[in-house]
Formats: sequence, C-alpha cells, structure tokens
Amino acid sequence: MKEFIKSYLLELCCSYTIISVAGAVINMIMGTQTNNANVVMMFIFCNIAVFVLSIHKFFEKLSPLAMIIIQYVMALALCTGAILIATLFWGPVTPRGWFEFFRSFTIPYIIGAALYYYRLWDDAKKQQEMLKEIQERKESGSH
Amino acid sequence: MKINLFEDKKITEEYLDIHFTEMRPMIRQLIDTVRSERPVITGRPADEDIDDGEEIILDPEEIYYFDHVERKLYAYTESGVYRLMTTLSSVEEQLSNYGFVRVSKSNLVNIYKIKQLKPDINMKVYLSFDNGERICINRSYKKSFNDYLQKMRRMGK
Repeated sequence: MKEFIKSYLLELCCSYTIISVAGAVINMIMGTQTNNANVVMMFIFCNIAVFVLSIHKFFEKLSPLAMIIIQYVMALALCTGAILIATLFWGPVTPRGWFEFFRSFTIPYIIGAALYYYRLWDDAKKQQEMLKEIQERKESGSH
Repeated sequence: MKINLFEDKKITEEYLDIHFTEMRPMIRQLIDTVRSERPVITGRPADEDIDDGEEIILDPEEIYYFDHVERKLYAYTESGVYRLMTTLSSVEEQLSNYGFVRVSKSNLVNIYKIKQLKPDINMKVYLSFDNGERICINRSYKKSFNDYLQKMRRMGK
C-alpha cells in the first residue's frame, strides 16, 4: 500500500506539472487566461487519470483492449461526476461544454490507445527478429 | 566449433580445456555436461496412471513448453504430453541456460521452438510453436521475456 501511494503521488506530481506547464505555454501563445476553477478541475482530472491507470493490475486477466475500454468508461464516468459536482459551485455546463469535454477527453485517449498498440506491435516485431537471430545462431553453432 | 581429441595413457587425471571468445549457452551446456550438471527432466506420459507409467528422460530440446494446471506440471513435446513430479520454478531454474523462459504464471516456454510472435486484435501477444499451438505472453512477464531474449542474444555473440 505504501509503495502504491508513493508511486501514485509521484505520477500525479509529474502529470500535473506537465499539464499545467503545457496549459501555461498554450495560454501565453494564444493570449488567453485561466481561472482558479480550471486549475482545481485540472488537478481533479489528473487525480482521476492517475488513479484509473494505476489500477491496471486488477485487469490482468483481461485483454489489453478490454482493459483500455473499461478504463476509458471508468475515467469518463468519474470525470463526468466531477463536473456535475463542480456545477453545484460554479454554475451549469452548456451542451456545447459537455460536447467539448467529451471530445477533448476521447481524442487524446484514442491517440494514446493507438500509440500503445503501435508500441506493442513494434516490440513484438523486434522480439521476433531477436528470436530468429538466437535460433539461427544456435543452428549454425550445432552444425 | 573445432574439437581436438588427444589420447595420452601417461596422464594421471583427465582434463578438458575449452577456449571460447564469450560465454555462450552452448559453452555453458558443455560445462554442465562435463560436470554432470546437465539438467535431467523426467516425466510420465500424461494419459497413464501416475503410479503405473514408466518414467522417461526428456530431452529439453524436444520440449515446446511446460504448463502448470491444477497443481500439476506438464511438459509438451512433439511425441506427447508428460507429467512431471516437480515444480515449475525448479524446472525454470534448471533450464534457464537452455532457452526456457517464463511467459506467464503457469507457462515456461522453449524459445528455440517458437515459430512466430504476434500481437492479436485484442492486443494480447501470442507465441506460436512449430506444432501449431499458441501461448499468450502475460503483460506482467513482457519485460522479463524481452530481457531474457536480449541476454540470450548477448550470450550468443
């Protein structure tokens, strides 16, 4: 448990730093500004993302594709819940706002899943080449 | 590999010199053989009664993989399936220099028998053997499998 909390906090710190710095850079380039509510929501979303990704061990028996879909649904539900709670304090979200939330959540997730699949395929290809090399060397050594 | 054999009636103790550029699996196996430490894997045909079946010495090179099911250990070879009276971890320890690597909690595979390694549509990576059988590489063992291949490649150079 101690190890889990340690790794969770480390990942949270890293991801929040990257996102807040990237946000600040985008704001500087676009000439826009953020507010305190956005900063708090960004921190909550980072918490949700790190938590959902850190429980991947519980889906060990499932295929990676099933795991990705389950984690997507979980993260989407938690983020929606967080926004609904936020509306109690900061006013309602417009339909366009919900659509933007869904789009900005889904697109990076699909890109991430595609990158994961590409890495998996690339690793398998490299391992296949290594295997062939090892097998050929053994065959030539035994002759 | 060049082999020189010398017969000398005068020597009191027989000896063997091995000259190698780098420690490779084949050299390690030679050393094990000379020291009589070559692993001996024995098993009984899986379809026979465990008390009646005759114990057979299995050549590690003939084994495709080991499977641990319901606290029983089986070795899959071209000639059939054999039940072993040992544990998967002890077999893993014995055969780590002979191309055997763990790919899941219950499977130990012979890398020299793997025909293909391919990810499936559901993103699971499968190993397929010469005999057409397939085994999935568990995500937790992915890194250790890759490390083992790299180690074997380095040893073989």
